[in-house]
Amino acid sequence: MSPEFSAQTKERIKEIISRYPRKEASLLPVLHLAQQELGYISSEAERWVAEMLRIKPIKVREAVTFYTMFYQEKLGKYHIQVCSNLTCSLLESEELIDYLMEKLKIETGQTTPDGKFTLSTVECLGACEEAPCMQINFDYYGNLNKKKIDSILASLK
Amino acid sequence: MKEKVLTKNFGLKNNFKIDVYLKHKGYEAVRKALREMKPEEILEEAKKANLRGRGGAGFPAGVKWGFVPEVDKPKYLCVNADEGEPGTFKDRFIMSHDPHLLIEGIIITSYCVGIHQAFIYIRGEYEAVAQRLEGAISEAYEEGFLGKDILGTGFDLDVIVHRGAGAYICGEETGLLESLEGKRGHPRLKPPFPASIGLFQCPTVINNVETLSNIPVIILKGAEWFCEKGLPKDGGTRIFGVSGMVRNPGIYELPMGTSLKDIIFKYAGGMKAGKKLKAVIPGGMSAPILRADEIEIKMDFDSLVEAKSMLGSAAIIVIDEDTSILDVLKAVSKFYSHESCGQCTPCRIGTSWINKIVKRIIQGKGKREDIDTIQRLANNILGKTLCPLGDAVAMPIGSITEKFRDELESSLSR
Amino acid sequence: MVKIFIDDKPVKVKEGTTVLSAAKQAGIPIPHLCFHSALIPEGSCRMCLIEIEGVPKLELACSTQVRDEMKIWTKSDRVVEARKGVLEFLLAEHPLDCPICDKASECKLQDYYEEYGLFESEFKEPKEKRDKKANIGKSLILDRERCILCTRCVRFLREITQTQELGVFNRGIRSEIETYEGELVNNNYSGNLVELCPVGAITDADFRFQIRSWFLKKNDSVCPLCSRGCNISIEFHLGFARIPRKKRVYRIISRENPDVNRHWICDLGRYGYSYLDEERLENFLTINEGKEGNLDWEKAIQLMAQKIRKLYNTKKTSRIALILNPWLTNEELFLIRKIFREDLNLERIYVAEPSQGEKDDFLLTSERSPNRKGVQEISFKSKEINLKEIATNTDMIIIFGHYLLDQFDSGDVKAALDEIEIKILFSSKDSELNAVVDLVLPTALIAEKSGSLTNFEGKVQSFEPALEPVGESLPEWQILLDLAKELKINFKYYRQFSSPAVILEKMKEEIPFFIQKND
Repeated sequence: MSPEFSAQTKERIKEIISRYPRKEASLLPVLHLAQQELGYISSEAERWVAEMLRIKPIKVREAVTFYTMFYQEKLGKYHIQVCSNLTCSLLESEELIDYLMEKLKIETGQTTPDGKFTLSTVECLGACEEAPCMQINFDYYGNLNKKKIDSILASLK
Repeated sequence: MKEKVLTKNFGLKNNFKIDVYLKHKGYEAVRKALREMKPEEILEEAKKANLRGRGGAGFPAGVKWGFVPEVDKPKYLCVNADEGEPGTFKDRFIMSHDPHLLIEGIIITSYCVGIHQAFIYIRGEYEAVAQRLEGAISEAYEEGFLGKDILGTGFDLDVIVHRGAGAYICGEETGLLESLEGKRGHPRLKPPFPASIGLFQCPTVINNVETLSNIPVIILKGAEWFCEKGLPKDGGTRIFGVSGMVRNPGIYELPMGTSLKDIIFKYAGGMKAGKKLKAVIPGGMSAPILRADEIEIKMDFDSLVEAKSMLGSAAIIVIDEDTSILDVLKAVSKFYSHESCGQCTPCRIGTSWINKIVKRIIQGKGKREDIDTIQRLANNILGKTLCPLGDAVAMPIGSITEKFRDELESSLSR
Repeated sequence: MVKIFIDDKPVKVKEGTTVLSAAKQAGIPIPHLCFHSALIPEGSCRMCLIEIEGVPKLELACSTQVRDEMKIWTKSDRVVEARKGVLEFLLAEHPLDCPICDKASECKLQDYYEEYGLFESEFKEPKEKRDKKANIGKSLILDRERCILCTRCVRFLREITQTQELGVFNRGIRSEIETYEGELVNNNYSGNLVELCPVGAITDADFRFQIRSWFLKKNDSVCPLCSRGCNISIEFHLGFARIPRKKRVYRIISRENPDVNRHWICDLGRYGYSYLDEERLENFLTINEGKEGNLDWEKAIQLMAQKIRKLYNTKKTSRIALILNPWLTNEELFLIRKIFREDLNLERIYVAEPSQGEKDDFLLTSERSPNRKGVQEISFKSKEINLKEIATNTDMIIIFGHYLLDQFDSGDVKAALDEIEIKILFSSKDSELNAVVDLVLPTALIAEKSGSLTNFEGKVQSFEPALEPVGESLPEWQILLDLAKELKINFKYYRQFSSPAVILEKMKEEIPFFIQKND
């Protein structure tokens, strides 16, 4: 039973697998592609990837549960990941996290009922010169304050 | 500093495009290396340049390349672009604003060691950067700097951008290898070392982005010039990343050995308005903390070791007096317990235990002996773990609890 | 060879030996948890850290190879402190389950704490809560709170059985041993995980809460359930003073033998021990009870010898049939050859075929009996058993074992035996065959006698009794010797055999096969 991959994604996945000297080495890039399309890594996806890479499904799940960027459940449309590491917390990211929790009416780790936003705290994003920072899906936002956050969220449809 | 080496293109418009790069002496080093130099000569230059690893460990790059044996197996280059050390963002700048500089370094290094496939292991969060890298790599292929028979010299090289997925431990070289092989990022026992048994059990060179980005200038200007730019045993410039309570956080390319005090107060604009300096972490979170009275120090590998800290990733985090040291301790213990891979006993349980104690102290239920316990646990982790993450957690925690003991105790209930 | 010093003791070992292995050879134990000699060193428990002179950091004994003139300290202050540190970490997140944990008294954590620990706990935080009764397959139960993540189980399934049913999910302190959805542990070697687990994380539902392991006695034996002859230990308890025992045997565990089964036994051998205690025949059985009176061995042997002599004296030995089986020991088969084929000139000697099964890629053979090779080498050719043929041509049949019932329908066997005048059965089991013969002599099982078996590769393995025979039962070799002496055909010959060991020595003179490599 293959997950709902578009033909294009399947082709891209096959192409990526072919560039590696060993099939199984392409696991992380393939999982990224799968997740981009499905929103998370379902168990059908795990089995499908396992078969493509000639490894056992348990090896796929070992990786999915190890790496924080792979999800086993669908998240909101926008995944707001606020850095809570040292520099950002020096620049008061904790206040911003509290602000977001208040604004979205959810706790960290939760998704808004309309499925639009998921809020998480993450470790250092590597953009400390713009602390406090957050990442929404793959986009970085820095030098944050409450006003900026308001306008960023408002711009996300 | 007048002459920039690594950041010279950072101010240019469209600096990541190959036509802009070529206009500014781009790929001249590759041309010289592949057409005029033998691999042994390049190795000699790298060794003479005293180029020490810019990822954190500071191991001399040329020496590392020299360890690669001649065996009947393919050799690999892994570019460590995982940049997970908190406070560090320099490699992001290099890859965003001068990806071709990195590509040049990759080509020359691969040619020197006899490598025909290179992987850039880039942290998954840097998706935008990865796309820019892939764009630059495409351009390099088109212009004939990558692929088969580069510049007609018969040298082949393929470069793949490989995204990580959110694990600091994959910045550790053997954790990176495991991850690149499609597994959990569990570091390996050493020996054997990656130079002989690395990716897919083949000889592998692993170098940091900034390290490799120094190779083109070493080829063009020579090892002696490079050493003069820095210190005799510690050649070249360093990109210092300053963040925290300074006026002008950002990257600063300066000679190896620049004074920390100067970096903070001369280059990064000094403390933010109304803030006084309390402490500095000089080399990324894994580096032991320095008090405000300890910043009269030269920023090079050996000087910092002498001061019982480390240069590491040269990420300078500036902490002010209004910040409670307990919050610093909290950020440190939270980070390492989150990032521990879980393989070995002291790290898996020790980082979590320390984190639990710190949480309890923050809740107001801490006692004096808890600080002693934290120090004892840190000592039981130090030097006893499978990989350097153990030292990376034990040393900062040890230094914080030692140097700021009084402040920590005053935040306890009893 | 290299010369090294361990705690000042000079030791000579082969190049490439690890410190741990060298210390073991020198009789110096170094504590370790994740290391197992059959698995690739993992180096993750950090329990085996030792000090090497001239090396600033402590090194792992399990994966560091010795070099000439190396000086190793296994008890220096730094090493003792490091060991205590690792123990403290493990115990911090370990539940205090000893009072209810099956592993108590066989637990490495207990052993090492007793020897190297003995400190008070300083852990005041809430411990991680995890599933304590996860069914991970077959009869295995995983307690994830007790698990110390040594990953021996994961590595065994990856490297030895190559079935990979277990993996490590999550990261850091959240790491746990897991299966994938419904794909539980499902191979014929699952029981080894219980032995492999150094603590009580993986326990056996078969053994769970049955008995405290320190009450068990342990004796060595050889598994008779296939023709590999894996070395085992039988763990048993003979009952408490006022509590009647239901069974003797509680557990079969593996015994290391690098030439036969290395460190492992299969689940068939591990869990198939009920035959040792269930459905046992403990006493003589006669159809015409009363006519022979209450039997004892003297009377039974006399009776049997009488019947045989009668046919021997009237030159009617061609009317005697013998049914053997490949569960008899080498010594017993030899005695049978001597007595029946040579002394009595019997030709009609048949060998029953116990059931075959599927072999696997590892230890289990398709031959499910322990001594087929012994039968061959003592030259009993398998004559096909035709029940009707035997029935017509036989006046007296002597059957060893109940194995005819594995091969033939019990109705057919009964029909055939009904046509035979004298029927004597040697058996350990309370089987249907007992009601169809005249006389049943209770015999001991392999676990209850001494002797040797020949495995399918030709390896002769001797063993001593692990258990006592039950009730009146005796080992066949003893019964046969008494019978031989009673028959008085070649009395002097049998007098020399005081034990199976002596018989085996004699066998080496007459059948060169039994002279083994290490003789």
